[in-house]
Amino acid sequence: MGYVIAIPLLPALAFGVLAPLSNRARNAAIWVPVAAVCGSLLLSLAAFARVWPGGHEGEAVYRASAVFATLGSVNLHAGVLLDPISAVMLVVVTLVGAAVQVYSVGYMHRDERIGWYFAVLSLFTAAMLALVLSDNFLQLYMAWEVMGLCSYLLIGFWHEQEAPRKASLKAFLTTRVGDVGFVLGLAVMYATAGSFDFAVVLHGFTWVPATATAVSLLFLFGAIGKSAQVPLHVWLPDAMAGPTPASALIHAATMVAAGVFLVARALPIFQASGVALTVTMIVGVTTAIVGGLLAAVQHDIKKVLAYSTISQLGYMFFALGAGGIVAGIFHLMTHAFFKSLLFLGAGVIIHAAHTQDMREMGGLAKKMPVTTATFTIGSLALAGIFPFSGFWSKDEILTVLWTEGHYVVFALALAAAFVTAFYVARLWFRVFTGPEQTPELAEAHAEMLVPMGVLAAITAVIGFGSPYFARFLGHTGAWPEAGIALTSTAVAGLGLALGWCAYGRRTKVINTRPLKERAGFVYDALAMKLYFDLTYDYFIVKQYARLADALWAFDHTVIDGAVNGAGAIWKAGADVGALFDTYVIDGAVNGTATLVRAAGAKVRRIQVGRIQAYQGLMVGALVLLMLWFVVKGA
Amino acid sequence: MLLSAIVFLPLIGAIVAALVPKDRAGIARWLATVVTAVDVVLVIFVVLRFDVGAGMQFVERAVWVPQLGISYHLGVDGISITMLLLSALLSLIAVVASWKMDTKPTTYFAMLLLLEVGMNGVFLALDFVLFYVFWELVLVPMYFLIGTWGGPRKEYASIKFFLYTLFGSVFMLVGIIALYLQTGTFDMTAMIGLGLPATFQWWVFAAFFLGFAVKVPIVPLHTWLPDAHVEAPTAASVLLAGILLKMGTYGFIRIALPILPHAAKQWAPFITALAAISIVYGAALAFAQTDLKKLVAYSSVSHMGFVMLGIASGTVEGLNGALAVMFSHGVVTGMLFLIVGMVYDRTHTRMIEDVSGLSSQVPVAGGLLAFASFASLGLPGLSGFVGEFLTLLGAWKSTVPAGWVVLAAVGVLLAAAYTLWMVQRVVLGTPSHAVADIPDLSVREIAILVPLVALTLTVGLYWNSLLRFTDPAVARIVALLAGA
Repeated sequence: MGYVIAIPLLPALAFGVLAPLSNRARNAAIWVPVAAVCGSLLLSLAAFARVWPGGHEGEAVYRASAVFATLGSVNLHAGVLLDPISAVMLVVVTLVGAAVQVYSVGYMHRDERIGWYFAVLSLFTAAMLALVLSDNFLQLYMAWEVMGLCSYLLIGFWHEQEAPRKASLKAFLTTRVGDVGFVLGLAVMYATAGSFDFAVVLHGFTWVPATATAVSLLFLFGAIGKSAQVPLHVWLPDAMAGPTPASALIHAATMVAAGVFLVARALPIFQASGVALTVTMIVGVTTAIVGGLLAAVQHDIKKVLAYSTISQLGYMFFALGAGGIVAGIFHLMTHAFFKSLLFLGAGVIIHAAHTQDMREMGGLAKKMPVTTATFTIGSLALAGIFPFSGFWSKDEILTVLWTEGHYVVFALALAAAFVTAFYVARLWFRVFTGPEQTPELAEAHAEMLVPMGVLAAITAVIGFGSPYFARFLGHTGAWPEAGIALTSTAVAGLGLALGWCAYGRRTKVINTRPLKERAGFVYDALAMKLYFDLTYDYFIVKQYARLADALWAFDHTVIDGAVNGAGAIWKAGADVGALFDTYVIDGAVNGTATLVRAAGAKVRRIQVGRIQAYQGLMVGALVLLMLWFVVKGA
Repeated sequence: MLLSAIVFLPLIGAIVAALVPKDRAGIARWLATVVTAVDVVLVIFVVLRFDVGAGMQFVERAVWVPQLGISYHLGVDGISITMLLLSALLSLIAVVASWKMDTKPTTYFAMLLLLEVGMNGVFLALDFVLFYVFWELVLVPMYFLIGTWGGPRKEYASIKFFLYTLFGSVFMLVGIIALYLQTGTFDMTAMIGLGLPATFQWWVFAAFFLGFAVKVPIVPLHTWLPDAHVEAPTAASVLLAGILLKMGTYGFIRIALPILPHAAKQWAPFITALAAISIVYGAALAFAQTDLKKLVAYSSVSHMGFVMLGIASGTVEGLNGALAVMFSHGVVTGMLFLIVGMVYDRTHTRMIEDVSGLSSQVPVAGGLLAFASFASLGLPGLSGFVGEFLTLLGAWKSTVPAGWVVLAAVGVLLAAAYTLWMVQRVVLGTPSHAVADIPDLSVREIAILVPLVALTLTVGLYWNSLLRFTDPAVARIVALLAGA
């Protein structure tokens, strides 16, 4: 089973090989990362097969660790833990990773820094795999931050343009706001339990509710940043400035799900707290609705998908908040596949249509059959339509909410599902139906279509694995209950129908314009992203810059002024002393005037004069002193 | 004899270099290179032979002034060995980085070598008189390096540096004399565990605090630092940030904590507050800078705040973290100053607004600047994270007020803000006018950065490469603090 360690190491080595090369050599060596991620995929499948038919979370099928730091009696470990959850995550990450890399060979082939792109993608994959395999929270955090670096590098990949440059900075800093919480959570955990190891802090330690609440809320804050939950969601839509396949992998399928994974891993601590679960649920449901509403007013196809991701991650959060770890992780998995599929499809669409604005698209269905078919499967999954994967996982989440008695959240979740179906229809009809707006539309190459086909096939069938998935994670699984399944399907159907009415080619039963005019303030608020960005920009970024400038002025006027002032007073004192010397003392001993005055002048010059004089004096005295010591000592 | 050789070999080199005819710069350059390189080899030999479990090693002791209890006493332990390695390595790098120095080169290289004598000596001296001699010796060459080879405001900066640190060391001298009068010896190792009276400890700690705080520097005693850094030539900036600042924190760990443990605990809340303020204040000021060197200078104020945070915590984690930040900051800030210097050599500007698009025009320089920046902002896997994280762990675990620890943790975010905003303007984007047509780094320039990159990665990925030296030594100090 030692090969489990190789799963993250292969892509890490690929990065190590590519990073120091020259740009040209790197561009020629992109097969190295592709081979590495394919190798990791095979090993992950083997590991998954080994864990089958599953067991309880934390029950290790394989475990290995090594000490990398010793602090007194405490050892900090780097380790791998293969249990059912990590086995699932391994397959998700390497499968989407491999699909994205193969796709990128086609998508990025004209870019002059394609080698660097692949190197960073590889480092990202390594970090994500190290995260899901981690057997302790410190390693998880370290991998988490390395992913943040990769995200930063890929968002800003086309850094010659201003938008990607700004977006990358915004992404790194916003997620780091959350990381301050994560780090403090680690500090509280260490001070309380004396360890970061899952075996200790999750299974061997009895948490007092107060500290459990502190740790879990601080962790949750980190997860809110990484998984783009309200109020730290603002970075993810901007992050779409990066290459689209990178968005598919990092900003849809894997990294942004790391926050969900963190909460899932730390769930025993959240449960010991109780309050933290409620907070998680509130954050999740708020985000699900806000994200859905914002997705419904975007015109940029990638931004629709970005807000959709935010909304769907919210789903996972409230699932976990309700204690539904199976439902949460299952939705993480189905979402990873169908959302990366949608992003890859969006990449093809953007290439073909030469725009990201859906208002300038239309009629793509005729010329691009494969893309249309796969994208449609992804769309239906996202909307929650049977038999596609999203239906199953959404249904599981709703079931958990219902059986646990969270009826308000249940209703809000249905509302979010309605909005989801609406924006899916809005996107689909705008892009694929209507008059063609782009000449020379053409289908993409095979290396881009094949990965999309694979993801579409998975999305089409994986839902049927729902009860087996629960058993794999050590819980009892069940087929969907008719009542909830019918309700959610009806809600999704209504959403799709409304979208079709508003944006369908022939129908356009509803004209959206009077709505915009009558409820203009609502539309404006949504179009302005509910003022989150403006608020942060004005009240935090601008004010911090002003504060920094004010402190800088304070520093060199007040503090340094005091230093220089002290120096000036000292010098003035010396001058007065010198005057006193000259006129009072010298006057009194006028008799021996000439000699003394000459000597006095020399002394004065040393006192107030050039520093070199001090220098010579001090060094001379020092040397004499040392000589004297040596002579006396000997 | 080994430690004496490490300290005094550069002194011989300095004297010879000073005697080299003024027009034979090449000789002085090669002499300095060979001497500092031999010193590095000797230090590596010490590191390899070092027994991590044992205390003071390679001890040399000779009676010097028996009437006053002064002895020639050198030794190395887990606290000093990392600093010694850094001092020797950065000295060699400083020499090679100054390869093209053409203003009074013989004197210049003599000064660099003289500086190494003082730096190595400070970290090895175990007798207070010897320690003070080396401490003051450091000032002299640094004063001349800034004052003679510095920028436009070199006179102001050098005098400010000199007087300010002299002001601090006067208080340190008072503390040393007080300790001598109380114990009758100048031997640092003999003063440990004496159970000195609490009030006496408090006052002596106050004296040492002033002496060391200027050197660190702790806000508000920091304003000499940006001026000195901005005006100093590249090599001097590297050594100033890399080694001289650490003399202050080293003093706390070597002297103030073990000899005055009771006072250290009393002072801890106050130092924690100042440390947290230094972290945030330095970070905010770094954000406001328009000059690259000043930005790095203020970032040093912020980073040294983490060292003080760890020291004040008095915990195993905090002190290991403090030593880790000291080492990492030396390596990473060394890199930053070197690269900024290399860019300045080509563009003749350090203004952030004038320099942009380095990664497009000079990918090696831009890439390494980005690498050093990420190490500086504490990215896990690189050395900066190790100490920052451990000091936060230690501070939280200790009894210091939690609010200051939270403030310090916010400093981690602010560090990312000023660092990446600099990267965004300088490294990324399209090449500016000043950057257009400049050549990328030469083999010599890459060669001096490679060891620093390697150390950043090694320490960052395998913390015990550093902690195995510091941890046993830290345990002894923590035991002393617990007993007080």
